[in-house]
Amino acid sequence: MKKLQRFAYPAFLLVMAILPNLLDSRWQAVAITFLIFSVVALSQDIILGKSGMFNMGQALFFGLGAYTTAILNAKFGWPMLATVPLAILIPALFGILLAGPIVHLRGDYLLVTTIGFNIVFVQAVQNDLGGVTGGPNGIFGLDPMNIFGIQLANQLAVYYFAFAVLLATLWIMRNLEKSKAGRALHYLRLDQLAAESIGINTRVFKIFAFGLGAGIAGLAGTVYATQYAAVSPEAFDFIQSVLFFSIVIVGGSSIPGVFLGVFIMFVLPEIFREFATWRFFIFGFAMIAAMILRPRGIWPATFGKIPKFLIKESNHGA
Amino acid sequence: MAPNQLILTDVTKRFGGLTAVDDLSFKVEDGQIYGIIGPNGAGKTTVFNCITGIYKSEEGSVKWRGEEIRGMTPYQIVDRGIVRTFQTIRLFSQMSVAENIMSGRHIKSKQGWWHGIVHTPASRRDELANWQKVEEQLDFFNLAQFAATPTGSLPYGIQRRVEMARAMAVEPTLLILDEPAAGLNDKETMELLQTIFKIRDKGVTVLLIEHDMDMVMEVTDYLTVINFGKKIADGTPEEIQKNPAVIEAYLGSEDDDDE
Repeated sequence: MKKLQRFAYPAFLLVMAILPNLLDSRWQAVAITFLIFSVVALSQDIILGKSGMFNMGQALFFGLGAYTTAILNAKFGWPMLATVPLAILIPALFGILLAGPIVHLRGDYLLVTTIGFNIVFVQAVQNDLGGVTGGPNGIFGLDPMNIFGIQLANQLAVYYFAFAVLLATLWIMRNLEKSKAGRALHYLRLDQLAAESIGINTRVFKIFAFGLGAGIAGLAGTVYATQYAAVSPEAFDFIQSVLFFSIVIVGGSSIPGVFLGVFIMFVLPEIFREFATWRFFIFGFAMIAAMILRPRGIWPATFGKIPKFLIKESNHGA
Repeated sequence: MAPNQLILTDVTKRFGGLTAVDDLSFKVEDGQIYGIIGPNGAGKTTVFNCITGIYKSEEGSVKWRGEEIRGMTPYQIVDRGIVRTFQTIRLFSQMSVAENIMSGRHIKSKQGWWHGIVHTPASRRDELANWQKVEEQLDFFNLAQFAATPTGSLPYGIQRRVEMARAMAVEPTLLILDEPAAGLNDKETMELLQTIFKIRDKGVTVLLIEHDMDMVMEVTDYLTVINFGKKIADGTPEEIQKNPAVIEAYLGSEDDDDE
């Protein structure tokens, strides 16, 4: 299993690096969507999978990042690249501010609250809040991203931008797993009382998870705005949040699990395009089956990744 | 610095109409192994919950090293060196033994939240140093062979040891054990006694609740007996064994049940 993972990750990333060159433009667009939604689903995994908080509003942070980029570019003339820091920071800040008063809520109550936030956000942008969101039509005609002289003028270039964002996200996820903060999230999910009783300030780390998850989703929003050179409210609707939520629950709280979830949800319907209208039907059944057969997801989180010097007798290894 | 004394004064905890802890006072001295005994439902665990910040007592004071800790949150109290285990084992059952013990290193770790995003040479050193501390606990509690095993799959007696190892990883000054011998067989209980003495020899004060009377009499230096939330006696194990009120309330009936 460990060996498989050692080879599987580089092989997967290599395939993803070569892939767009083999695809026509329609499939390139699908592949970019896969990358962007993978990043959002991974950010949702930090909040939902690792920390166990039933956040049903991840599309809000995704949209906040996309709108930050779009507004700064279209209304204030900022270059696309210059919007990136704010497209991370503003959603992260909102994540922290919104999480502050609600993280003590139990699962179902938190879920309803985050749905509310998501709906408020979509209503606000649809009604052209502050006259900058473009109302129901959104904002279009954004400039192409220009990264230090390299113009992301075609889909292939956008793909590699999205790919770089995914790699950065994977890198953060790996750092998180091997840190005090990342472990604290697992501890507080598995047993909050035990976590507090060994000294973890669970509130701080729950808010941290929201802030980090929101920031990453915001960055994905920038990539989304770059891909379409436009943003519109319905892309960040509450139903999108449901999908991101479902991906983590069905796929499992692991990187392969999240990729699997995104693949099933967004790529399979494209492959079987004639069944596209069936995708919620099929995914609905997949959700039911997965939850009955594998309640922790198809590819759940694995533990026991401890330093080698601690493993004295291999026969007890997990 | 004030001495490592835990002083409870007139602590009262009510749940609705029920007074679970009634005007309870006792004092745990530095280096003691202090026992709290009493029949089922006497309010022993509630006392522990009041000390460790899970509950806040309505009245009275809980002073640790001269500082009032009543009303603090559990993690603030852990930060002051008081760590507990649970009567019903509360481990992170999906995680390995080593990861469980690592959770005890949380407050000792110097890493900030940002190190969860980007590692630095300092955070890597800190990470390694804490895993080495975990190794010390694995050796101390003779758990090295189970380091990578998920705790949920281990026998009960070993899980108890993991929970104590996790608490000791915090490097507490006062270790609070809630029925540490519950569910253990005689051999395991004997090992537990040795472990508790070894912990005390490291300079850690131990406060424990226990049902196993033989064990309590053997391990503790001083005892408080409570019933219906009230203190009915305190003294050394010898004194307690002779106290008629205690025999009436507790020892007699317990012995009848057990032997």
